[in-house]
Formats: sequence, structure tokens, C-alpha cells
Amino acid sequence: MKKLLLSTALGAVFATGALAQEGEPIRVGILHSLSGTMAISETTLRDVMLMLIEQQNAEGGVLGRPLEPVVVDPASDWPRFAELARELISGQGVSVVFGCWTSVSRKSVLPVFEELNSILFYPVQYEGQESQRNVFYTGAAPNQQAIPAVDYLLENGVERFYLAGTDYVYPRTTNQILEAYLLAQGVAAEDIIVNYTPFGHSDWQTIVSEIRDFGSTGRPAAVVSTINGDANVPFYNELAAQGISAEDIPVIAFSVGEEELAGIDTAPLVGHLAAWNYFMSVDTPENEEFIDAWHAYIGSETRVTNDPMEAHYIGFNMWVDAVEAAGTTDADAVIDALVGVAVPNLTGGLSSMGANHHITKPVLIGEIQADGQFEVVWETAGLVLGDEWSDYVTETAPLISDWRAPLSCGNFNTATGTCGGSE
Amino acid sequence: MTRLIDLRLGLFLAALFAVTVLAPLATTLPSTSALNLPSYLIPLMGKYLCYALLAVALDLCWGYAGILSLGHGAFFALGGYAMGMHLMREIGARGVYANPELPDFMVFLGWTELPWFWYGFDMFWFAAVMALAVPGLLAFVFGWFAFRSRVSGVYLSIITQALTFALLLAFFRNDMGFGGNNGLTDFRDVLGFSLSAPSTRIALFVLTAVALAGCMLLARAITISKAGKVLVAVRDAESRTRFLGYRVESYSVFVFTVSAMMAGLAGALYVPQVGIINPGEFAPANSIEIVVWVALGGRGTLVGAAIGALVVVALKSWLTATFPDLWLFALGGLFILVTLALPNGLLGLVDRLKPRKAKPATEVPA
Amino acid sequence: MPFRPLTLIAALCLAVVLPFLASAQTLDALIARLPDGNFNDRAAIVAQIAETGDPRAAQVLDALLEGELEQRTADGRFVRVTGSRNNQTAVDVLTGEDLGPVARRSTEAVRVNNALRRSIRTALGVLTLMDPDPARRLAAAEAALRSPSADQVDALAEAMAAETNANIRTAQTRAHAAAVLASDLPVEQKLDAVAVIGAANAQIVQQTLNAYRNAAEPELAAAVGEALAAAEARQRLWSQAQNLWFGLSLGSVLLLAAIGLAITFGVMGVINLAHGELVMLGAYTTYTVQQIIRTNAPEYFGYSLAIAIPLAFLLVGAVGVLIERGIVRHLYGRPLETLLGTWGVSLILQQAVRSIYGPTNREVGTPDWMSGAWQIGEMTLTGPRIAIVIFSLVVFFGLLLLMKYSAFGLQMRAVTQNRPMAANLGIRTGYVDALTFGLGAGIAGLAGVALSQIDNVSPNLGQGYIIDSFLVVVFGGVGNLWGTFAAALSLGVANKFLEPWAGAVLGKIVILVFIILFIQKRPRGLFPQRGRAAEG
Repeated sequence: MKKLLLSTALGAVFATGALAQEGEPIRVGILHSLSGTMAISETTLRDVMLMLIEQQNAEGGVLGRPLEPVVVDPASDWPRFAELARELISGQGVSVVFGCWTSVSRKSVLPVFEELNSILFYPVQYEGQESQRNVFYTGAAPNQQAIPAVDYLLENGVERFYLAGTDYVYPRTTNQILEAYLLAQGVAAEDIIVNYTPFGHSDWQTIVSEIRDFGSTGRPAAVVSTINGDANVPFYNELAAQGISAEDIPVIAFSVGEEELAGIDTAPLVGHLAAWNYFMSVDTPENEEFIDAWHAYIGSETRVTNDPMEAHYIGFNMWVDAVEAAGTTDADAVIDALVGVAVPNLTGGLSSMGANHHITKPVLIGEIQADGQFEVVWETAGLVLGDEWSDYVTETAPLISDWRAPLSCGNFNTATGTCGGSE
Repeated sequence: MTRLIDLRLGLFLAALFAVTVLAPLATTLPSTSALNLPSYLIPLMGKYLCYALLAVALDLCWGYAGILSLGHGAFFALGGYAMGMHLMREIGARGVYANPELPDFMVFLGWTELPWFWYGFDMFWFAAVMALAVPGLLAFVFGWFAFRSRVSGVYLSIITQALTFALLLAFFRNDMGFGGNNGLTDFRDVLGFSLSAPSTRIALFVLTAVALAGCMLLARAITISKAGKVLVAVRDAESRTRFLGYRVESYSVFVFTVSAMMAGLAGALYVPQVGIINPGEFAPANSIEIVVWVALGGRGTLVGAAIGALVVVALKSWLTATFPDLWLFALGGLFILVTLALPNGLLGLVDRLKPRKAKPATEVPA
Repeated sequence: MPFRPLTLIAALCLAVVLPFLASAQTLDALIARLPDGNFNDRAAIVAQIAETGDPRAAQVLDALLEGELEQRTADGRFVRVTGSRNNQTAVDVLTGEDLGPVARRSTEAVRVNNALRRSIRTALGVLTLMDPDPARRLAAAEAALRSPSADQVDALAEAMAAETNANIRTAQTRAHAAAVLASDLPVEQKLDAVAVIGAANAQIVQQTLNAYRNAAEPELAAAVGEALAAAEARQRLWSQAQNLWFGLSLGSVLLLAAIGLAITFGVMGVINLAHGELVMLGAYTTYTVQQIIRTNAPEYFGYSLAIAIPLAFLLVGAVGVLIERGIVRHLYGRPLETLLGTWGVSLILQQAVRSIYGPTNREVGTPDWMSGAWQIGEMTLTGPRIAIVIFSLVVFFGLLLLMKYSAFGLQMRAVTQNRPMAANLGIRTGYVDALTFGLGAGIAGLAGVALSQIDNVSPNLGQGYIIDSFLVVVFGGVGNLWGTFAAALSLGVANKFLEPWAGAVLGKIVILVFIILFIQKRPRGLFPQRGRAAEG
């Protein structure tokens, strides 16, 4: 009988507050790992969401109803993301979820959001090649980060490219796109080296010395790094130890932001690069206000802000606007209302939600400074819309996504005129 | 004479039967009813039962034969991958890239041909056989070498951990053709039934319950058979059993293989209910957690192992949703408490509360 | 960029007068043009600034190089801004006038990037080739070698003649040779230059000579080809030594991580799953020590590790004693249950650190005396790695001596070998147990101090090392310190020799499979324990 008691108890716990009614708070789910390997990056996003919700409540909430955050801990365990997404939507009755970091966690929850018809805001730069009706991608697609970054290197005369990445889907796809792009730009195949390392790789001696040899042929070389979070600290430490300066072999990274640099002494790394859509150092009134609010909320002047935090800032404000416009938190209405919504970003522009559920962002390239911040050295003239299906991958070149009626399709093939893939 | 179904096992199976019948019924009640069970909890309960089955599998080889495997998660994951590969092929042309042959992630990585080891997985029976055969074969080969060389104790535990760690690294590699870090996901249906349909979910849940009951009976049958007695002898005094003329390694290999196949079965049932299989399942920490379930429930009792798994995973589900910042303290504290206060696990507590003579099977020397 | 009428007017004026003043522009005029145009334009201006001969040129370029050159929006004055985000002060870069604190966003930085920084360094090099400061002279010579230019042949020759420091002279000679190669001097001189460069290390040879592989003069092309081939051969030979060094340094990291476990697990038989977290505590101790020094007495930063080492040993050792007294003590004779208990401890420690220090990485600095790199032949030895190799050896042999020659070591061995007998002989076994576990934990803390220098300091730090540590102890033979030593170093070296051709992932898999097979062959590790204790 123990079993039965257990499951009914469980059911009772999960079933509380199943439906939000008029006048009751609107529940907002926050699905970020607070323990395990990803806690290092995701906990900050939980905090920034709590801050944004607090601010919104101070301004009177949404539709006259207060917002109520529901925080859960998927513990960097991918199946648990799906389990807790279900719990948030079905059990806690949240109207929207802000969450996920890794691609696999997003893939894990996708079917849940599709089945239960809810909304997910995903704030991290990712590999693209996806567009789903229930997901809004506020991080960068490859064309908003990787391509402009190598353009910048090419402009600066770099002739040889060492593509170093962690072995998972984001670096694999990004490097595939970059390789095709570089070849198209006339870089010789033998001047491109691709190298993959496992997650959490901590001994970089061999690879860094390989990079040093790669860069000392007299022709300008650069490293394009898609090395994932945790492995970056030992990587940069080794770069510094082996004395590779940015003037000899610059490293341009897509996954290294202010948060990652907070764990490293950056004095020997000045000049290495990163491509993002936001830097803490960007000098605008919006950003200053955001940073001050963040410092006040978290109670520390030394905490940094970073790109995924801005993505949540944009995503949250878009959601608020869309709900106000739709006059309801009903998923279908909000999904329709979200397309076309434009809100200020923190870099002085106005980001808008495209029909492909990706947003427009500026692309910035920054150089690491001795104080752990980035100095912007290059930026795109205007905002760039995220390109979900890469034009540099043969299978996906003809695909587009447009979630507006009447097309309402995430993978419309312009060559065959059908919805549903590359065939 | 030992009966196949003693009081404890009988109670457990009865409870399992009741839940299996009542839970699906409870989902059909109107949502206003106090007894209504939201249907999304069915796959969750199915997942718990898979873990219980996995714990029973480990208890069979650890509790009764003294083989402390810190790599049982590997067999579970292999079974899961076999099923996942089938479900992947079932998607067929409905994938994002609409390739009838290749799963999405292969198209994505620019592959043009299906790797040879994916052949056959379009057939359900083949995948089902492989879900048992691959873990079984791996366990047989591994066990045959290890037990013949008389690798035992912590040495055996650590090399099983090395095994699962090596597999973890291998499956992480995108070049391996198993989807890398993302693993296999986005499944649509199994044998033509949609995986998101409530009826399919209930069927899978019932199937898992049946598998759990069946495996518990099988495990019980093995442990009370003559072979089971030999295994206990091996556990308690390996050299002495050997000197008595028993081929210790044959018994060990047998039970290790059966246990691995049960783990594979658990994995195969787990994947369609959870909807994803990825290399994270190979993580050594997961395997250690299985050991923790068994130790917490009561080693060498089968029923205790299952209860331990259910308690820990249900507790984890509840704590991670309710106390996201504190749950590790609670869980860690529970483990310490059980070690110190309940040397025979939760089931030992039940025994202690009931004043009757201790059963020999629960007295497990280390 | 914001509209700046003053600069625009200045630029317009300049555009008019430019043709007449091309040869003799003032520093003030040049600096006014810096903020406009792209990085290439700025590089051209930088070169002109260097040519003005103005004594203030060096300080302007220096400020630009450091990214501290900014222009005041209000009056267009160029200032050097220093200080942190909320506390900035400015100094007029041309007059040296102290302008006091400045408000944020009242100045606009002149942006620099890598290419520009390189040009600045070259330009500064010309100005500082004969600088009284030897460090700047060396930097100047190195900058000249990196971007050789024919204009510098004479200046470098002059500097060489005046140089007294042998090291700097070598650098200048090489820079001179590179400049000669870039010039149109006769081919004989160039052949000498090739010989000079050829004697340098392979990296310099490749960097400098690759461009002349197909030189117009056949004898020059041949000499360059030979020098390049020789450098490559040298590099190939040395790469074996380099691999060995990488392997030893990886091995010493493994040794440090495993050696504490060799005591708690190897000697005491406790399956200590909290070992990784004890290492992590050591790393956080280092962080805390550095943090306190940074805020209170930054001048003593160089001693931070020297303070952290004993502190980490004692603190983490104390945690170990607590764990032993609180939990492990009750479990002797039930080693497998220590697994459950210590797993619980590890979860709690991880979350405790996360709650106290936050989940993000913490920065642990490397004291100046430890950073730097040394070139031996074609091999680079880096400071932190050398320190870790030495440190691991000191810890290992220190522990060995303690076990062999101290009274405590004797008692420890007695208790672990035969507890009842030891107790009968009057040894307080409980006391010895606690101290032994504390010793193992303390050594894990020491490992944490070392690992903080090369790895993430985050709550996950321990997770990355726990499996490797267990493998090392088991591979070496449980209960044998020398086994742990041999296992750690041999696995490290094997890993590093496999990595170049198998890749990091496959290399590691190969090692794991090898360990599994090896244990089949020798079920009790490299150095098995013999006798009754082995039956445990």
C-alpha cells in the first residue's frame, strides 16, 4: 500500500494550483539548473529572471495581475528538464517558461512544450537548424555570431584558422558552417584545422602547443573557439602560461563572456576576442540602469552581466508586451502576438521578434581587457535577424520558417514549396 | 523450504498491482474529483518503475553475489540506446529534414549513409532483442574475463566504473554515430502508437509494472534456487566456495549477465516514457546513485532495492521542484542518516519494528 | 559614433593643410585625428606619431597601447583614464595636467585592436630601442623581430653596437637579421641573416623565414629551405621530450589528486566519494586567502600560496577529522556503506560551497614568481606546471617519510594492518583513525591549492578528478603509495603520448580500456599488497 500512498501524495503535491484564474497571479516558470555541471552558468539566469519579475511587479504586474515566479532545479540532468517542464506547465500551471542552456536540454523539453502547447524563451546562443512554434530563441543563431566574427578576422588579414571546439552539437554545426563559409571566401582547405575535445577537458598542454606551432608559420593565424564553459578556464590559463599573445594568435570565442572571465586572471589575455550581441561594457543609459539594478538586486558590486542575461531581459519584455497586446496569457494568442513585438535591447537598439521566432540583434566583437571586461572593436551597422536554417549547409539552404498564418511552418522548403523538410 | 513469494514480496507485488490498475483509472476521473490523477504523472510513475527495476537488477548481483558494480548505468543506457535507435528509425521521413533513412542528427552532421550498426533497428523485434543482447553480451564478456582472473572487491567496482566512463566518453563523440551529447530524442511513436497519446502511456506504464514484477519473481527464483545459495556462499566466502569445488566464476558470470539484461530491459522501457536517451546516462555518478538506492532500501532484499529507488527518485522529483536551493542538503543528509541509523536500509527498519527473528538473507556482511 | 564638431573641424582643417604639412605634423595635430577612421587609418597615424620625434610621443602611444587613451566629450582634450568603473581619474596626456576624477560617459575611448596594438608596439619599439630600461629594450627588439622592416636595419645595428646585455643583444641580432631579409641589401648579407635566424628556436625560424621560401635568389631560397628543414627536424625530435614533460606534468596533477585518496581509500579502505569535494575545499581556501590578501594587503600577494598551503592542509584536514568522527567511525568493517555516507557528504559539501561562494567560477591568481615560461631547446616549460611537478614530488616524498619514519606513521600502519592487535598494544586506534583520515583529507586540500592554479575554481572542481583518482589508486595497487606514484606518472605520460595521434577523447578511452584489461592480468594492480591484509 506504500506505493499507492506515495503516488497519491505525489499527485496531490503536483496537482496544486492547476489553473490560474482571473485576479490570481500569473505564474512564470524558471527552468534553469541550480546544481550539477551547468549551475555555474544557469544560476545567474534564474537570478536575473527573479529580478525582472520583481521589477515588473513593482510596476503593477501584467494585465493588472502580479507575476509569480516558479523556480525548479533540473540539476543539469537532461531527462529531468523534460520532467520538470511538464510539472511546471501541467502541475504548476505556468503561462510561460524561461529556461534551458544546453542544446540537449532544449531538445529534451521541445516535445513537452509542443504537446502541452506552452511557451519557452531560450536565451543562449545556439547552433540554429531549428524552429519550433512554441519556442522563442532570444540567443544568437550562427549568423549573428560566428559568421561576422570570421569576417572580422578575414578583414584583419588572418589566413589560417584553427577551429577548436568541445565535441557537441553547437561547435560541430558552427564549425561546419564556418568551414563552408571560409572555403567559399577562398581560404585553402589545408589552412583550416578542426579539433574537438571532450566536455570539461582540463589538460590543454598538447593542444595549446599545437596551436602555437600552427600559428608560427609566418602567416597570420587565429583560433576560432567554440570551447564550452567549464573547459575555458584551463584553456585560457594554458594560453597565458605558454605565452600566446593576442597579437600573435588571437583567439575568438563564442562561448566566453564576462561570467567565464570572472574566474580567470585576464591580464595576460588582453586582446583575445569574443563575439556576442551584448557586452557589459557597452555604454548606453539602458545598460547602465540594468547593471545598477542587477548590482542592487544581487547585493554585490562585483557581479558581472552577460549576453544570455540580456537575452532574458529582451525575451521577458517581449513576453510582457505580447501578453498586454493579446490581453490574455493564452498560449496561442501570445504566440501570435509575439511575432513583430519590438523592445529596446541594452545596446541602444530596438530588437524585434521575427516570424521565425528568432530576434534581431546587433553583432559586437570585443577584445578582452585587463579588468575582465570586453572592449568593443567592431560592430554591425544595423541589427541582424537570426537565421534559423543556415544558408551554408546544403540540406537547409532552401528552408525557411514563418510561423504567421497562413504559412505557419517551421521548415518550409522554398525549392519544393512544401512544409516539412528538405526532400 | 523457501517459498517463491514470501510475505514481503507478496505485499509489494499486491501494492504494485493495485497501483497499476488504479492509477490509469484515476486519470479518467473528472478533474474536480479528489482522487483524480493528472495524466502527465503516468509517464513519471513509469520512469520510477524503470528505476526500481534497475535497482532490483543491481541488487541481484550486489546483494546476492557480492558483485558491487559501479557501472550498471552503462547496461541501462545501452538498453535505452537500442530502443532509442528503433524509435529514431520510426520517425522516418517525419523528421525536420524529412530524410526517410537517416535520423535528423546524421543529416545535420552531413552524413550521407546509415552506419552499419544502425541496420536492423527499423524492426521492433530486432531492437527489443538488442536491448537485452547488447548489455547481456557486454556483461558476459566483461564478467568472463574479470571473474576468471578473480578480479574482486573494490578492483572490480572501479573497473566497472572505468567501463561506464569509457562508454560515456565514446558516446559523447559525435563521430560514433549515436547523436553525441544530444543523444536520441524527438521520438514520435512506437509500433504505430503515438507516444504522446494517453493510452500509449498507460500501456507503457502497465508494461513496465509487469516487467518489474516479472523480473522480481525471476530474481527471487534465482536467489532461492541452488545456484542462488551458491552465489550467497560466493559472496560470503569466495575462496571456501571455490575449495568446495564450485566453479565460482560461472555462477558470477551468470548472475552478472542476467542482471545486466534486466538493466537493459529497464533502459528500453525508460526511453519511450522519458523521450530522450543521451550519454549522461553513462555518467559514473548515475551508477553510484543506483548503488545508493539499493543500500538505502536494504541490500539483498530485492523488495528493499525497489523501494529504495522509488523513495529516492520520488523524493528527488519533489525536492527539486519544491526546494530548488536546498534539496542537495536534504538528500545528502538522508544518505548519511540512513548509513548511520539504518545499517540494513529502510527495509531493515521495518524488520526492526516487527519483533521477530531476523531473516538470514538481510544480514549482509560487507 | 557621436557627432563631435570640434574633431570634425580639426579634421577638415587638417585635410586642407595636410598636403603642405605632410612631413612635419605636430603631435597635437596627429592625436586629434586618432579617433576618426578605421583601425588601419589609426595605424598610419601611430607611425607618424612615432616619427614626430616629439618627446611626448612615447607616453601617448603607451596610453593608447594600454587602451587608456580617451577624449573628453566636452572639450576634446585627450586624457589618460585610469581606475575602476565607478572611480575613474584622468590626466591630460599631452600636458601631464592632473584633471582629477571624471564621470562615466564624459569621455570616449580611442579604440584599439590587436593589429593596431601590434603597430603601436612596433612604433614604440623604434622609440625605445635604446631605452635605459632593459625590459623595454628587450620588448622593442622582440617587436622588431615580429614585424621586421627594412627601415630598421640601421637603427638595430646601432642598438646592437651599444648593447651590453647578452640576452637583449641576441634578440637585437635576430631582429636585425630579419630586417636585413626584408631589405634589398645584397644576397650575401641575407645569407648571413638566414644563418643567424636558423640558430634561433624553430618557431622564430618558421615565423621569419617561411615568407622567403620562394625567394628570387636561388641560393637564398636554398638556404632558407635548409634552415626550415633543420628547424622542423629539431622540432620533431624535441616533441618527444615535450610530450614526456606534458605527461609528467599531467601525471603529477593525477598524483596530487590521487595521493590523498591513496590514504583514505588505499590505506584505510574507506570508499571516500567526498574526496573530490575535499580537493575543492582546498581550492576555495586558496581563493579565500587570496581574497583577504587582495583587499587588505595586496603587496603580500606573492606569499598567498605559501599561506594557503598550510591553511588548506589544516582546514581540510579538520573537515576530514570531522567526517571520520561523525560518520566513517561507525562504519569500519562495512566499507561499502562508507560509499553511501561519503556520497551524502559530497552532495552536502558541493551545495554548501555553492550557497556560500555562489555557483560561478572564482578567480585564483598566479603569483608573479610562478608565472612565466622557459625555453629549453624547442620545448617550453611553464611556471605553474613546474611548480606543480615539484610540489607533487615534495608532498609525495614527505608523506612517504612520515609513513616510514615517524611514530604516527608506524601506528597508522599498525592500526590499518591489524586493528585488534594494535589496540591490544595500547595504540588509541580511534585517535589514529581520525588523524589518518585527516591526513588524507589534508593532502586532498593541498591538491586543491595546486589545482586552483590550472583549473576552474567552482563547486564542480572535485567531480572532474574523483574518477581519475580512484583509477590511479586501483591501477597502482590499493594500499601501496609507490603504486599510486607509478600509476599516476605512467598514466599521465601514456595519455600525452597518445593524444597527438588519437586525439584527447580516444586517447582517454584507450587508457581506460587498457586499465580494464590490465586489471584482468594483474587483479591487484601494479604493486599488489601481499599477505593477509590483501585478502581484506
